[in-house]
Amino acid sequence: MGIYLHSILEEAFPEQDPVTVYCGLILYFFLLDIFSRFLMQDLPTLVIQPYLVQNVKRSRLVQFLNLRSLVSFFNVFPLFLFIPFALSTIKNQYGSSASFAFVITIISLILFNNFLVLFIKRKTVLSNWWMVGFFVVVLVLMAGDYFKIFSVQKLSASVFGLLLSTPSFCIAFIVLAIGSYYNNTLYLKNNLYLDDLVKSPGHKASSEYHWLQRFGNIGDLIAIDLKLIIRNKRPRSLLLLSCIFLLYGFLLYKPAYFDKDQLGSILFGAIFITGMFMMNYGQFLFAWQSTHFDGLMASNVNLKTYIKSKFLLLTGFCTVAFLISLLYGFMNWKIIPVQIAAYFFNIGIHSVIAAYIGTYNYKGLDLSKGSSFNFQGIGVAQWIYALIIILVGAIIYLPFALLISSWAGISVVGILGIINLLLQDWWVDKISLQLQKRKHKILSGFREK
Amino acid sequence: MITINNIGKAYNGQIVVDIPQLQIEGGIVGLVGNNGAGKTTLFRLILDLVKADRGEILSKEKPVTIQEEWKQYTAAYIDEGFLIHYLTPEEYFYFVGKLHNHSKADVDEFLQTFDAFFDGTILKSGKYIRDLSKGNQFKTGIAACILQEPEVLLIDEPFANLDPSSQIRLKQMLKELQEKKRMTILISSHDLNHITDICSRILLMEKGKIIKDIETSDDTLSELEDYFKV
Repeated sequence: MGIYLHSILEEAFPEQDPVTVYCGLILYFFLLDIFSRFLMQDLPTLVIQPYLVQNVKRSRLVQFLNLRSLVSFFNVFPLFLFIPFALSTIKNQYGSSASFAFVITIISLILFNNFLVLFIKRKTVLSNWWMVGFFVVVLVLMAGDYFKIFSVQKLSASVFGLLLSTPSFCIAFIVLAIGSYYNNTLYLKNNLYLDDLVKSPGHKASSEYHWLQRFGNIGDLIAIDLKLIIRNKRPRSLLLLSCIFLLYGFLLYKPAYFDKDQLGSILFGAIFITGMFMMNYGQFLFAWQSTHFDGLMASNVNLKTYIKSKFLLLTGFCTVAFLISLLYGFMNWKIIPVQIAAYFFNIGIHSVIAAYIGTYNYKGLDLSKGSSFNFQGIGVAQWIYALIIILVGAIIYLPFALLISSWAGISVVGILGIINLLLQDWWVDKISLQLQKRKHKILSGFREK
Repeated sequence: MITINNIGKAYNGQIVVDIPQLQIEGGIVGLVGNNGAGKTTLFRLILDLVKADRGEILSKEKPVTIQEEWKQYTAAYIDEGFLIHYLTPEEYFYFVGKLHNHSKADVDEFLQTFDAFFDGTILKSGKYIRDLSKGNQFKTGIAACILQEPEVLLIDEPFANLDPSSQIRLKQMLKELQEKKRMTILISSHDLNHITDICSRILLMEKGKIIKDIETSDDTLSELEDYFKV
């Protein structure tokens, strides 16, 4: 991507000099970088626990912690993004000393951000005010830029313009990076005790979902699932992701599709939009509970009840997504019937496929890790999963769409969804038998951490 | 209650359980043996969490692999995998209680009898189970088992993570449960003193086989100590 940055910039901003655009972008990027690092970069703390009691010097441990933090996607990505441009375009136009200064600056900024964010994150572990303060600063910067009170782009352009004319200015960035490193090192050295680094959990209150009680044991199981989603980092971030995905309709529902009645593309989008959470959660249906699957299988939970609870949970989430996505009807009324068909496809057919494939997943999940760039528990089966959903949808839709009309295809998808929904009890029997047969294999897979 | 017929299980060619015939009927039965003797695997086989290579296990004359009735009268605690770690202890108790048709009030009443055992560190602690200490997690698990009022109770290594006072309390509790409710209790342990103290019958396992089936008497402790002497 970095290699093509020159041509990309030329494409996107034809009237401006790519170098000016490039200079304007750098600071922007690194501001966003701080923000996304804050949300996603992991603190390397727990891994050193065993060494604290061994014969290793504290300063060594701090060095290790610092070095380890460098092994991160966030530190590699900017290199690939910015360095090639600095080495090619800038070198060609402004000479090798300017090019060298840019490389130094980019690396310094990466290090600066890395250690700054680690420092802030460590502080937020101790006090939430740091978190609030951080977000306020970010918001002020964003608002200031948005309302044109000041311009990050102009600032960036002038700072890096200066760098172009006087390459030795890059020393300032090296100083910044070193300062950030020392600040973090000093802080770690003074606080390298487990009590401080390991987050002490706040007060946890019990909660109940009274509205689920009328479903009996099924409701109890759903409550357990809901708490799983809300109280653990990974499913929670999935839920968030799925909410964001609801907005994808603006991208996927293109006006051109409606004019030509290309409903297949709309259907495809609608299946994902109404079923995103089902897709994300459903593909690990049982694996989410891998840490307590032993107990669940030995407790007084009837397998049929268990499977039913899973279906109801998936249906519930799908329904919420569907209801929200109805708002897309304002774009074009044709979206609504397509989404209704997609909805029934999801709760009738997709859910069954999810549960069936779930019985073939032997990999457990660590709930505490975030979901972005987390490939734990992802094997061939998961890629096959997404493919199967798309294929099944296409197999139902295409023949009717091609032979009769795209509206016929949509109707068949919806009707088959409803029919399969009516057959759900039969599927519950089938899948609980399947689970009974495969549970030993699943259990032994889940026990391997 | 529990009948084991010619059960066999091997991992990678290594035999972990190999029991031709065993009948467990009432009383507190202790399972002793060094690590790798197959105690935990035997528990898992009884709970149908591991698939046997051969043979079958019957609970009330019905094979555990086919029907699910045993789940209604069997409670077990093997490890933290039996707890739902992101719930508070209370939520977990209510959940387990509901699975056995105990109302919230029933559960609250039941938990009062555990006040001394819990020592004020479990209920209303404001922690999820995952943040409890190992000993407290174990106490939570065992209380949830007893809450189910089972006819069969399986506990793996009950004394390992408990402080001395809790060990003594647990022994009393188990004895009382056996006497009052006629529970069949199967426990495994490395603590020979405790096990000879409360068990009426002791099974000694070695490499998956039950090599001794002892009715506990005054000599049992020294008999076991002789066996375990290197």
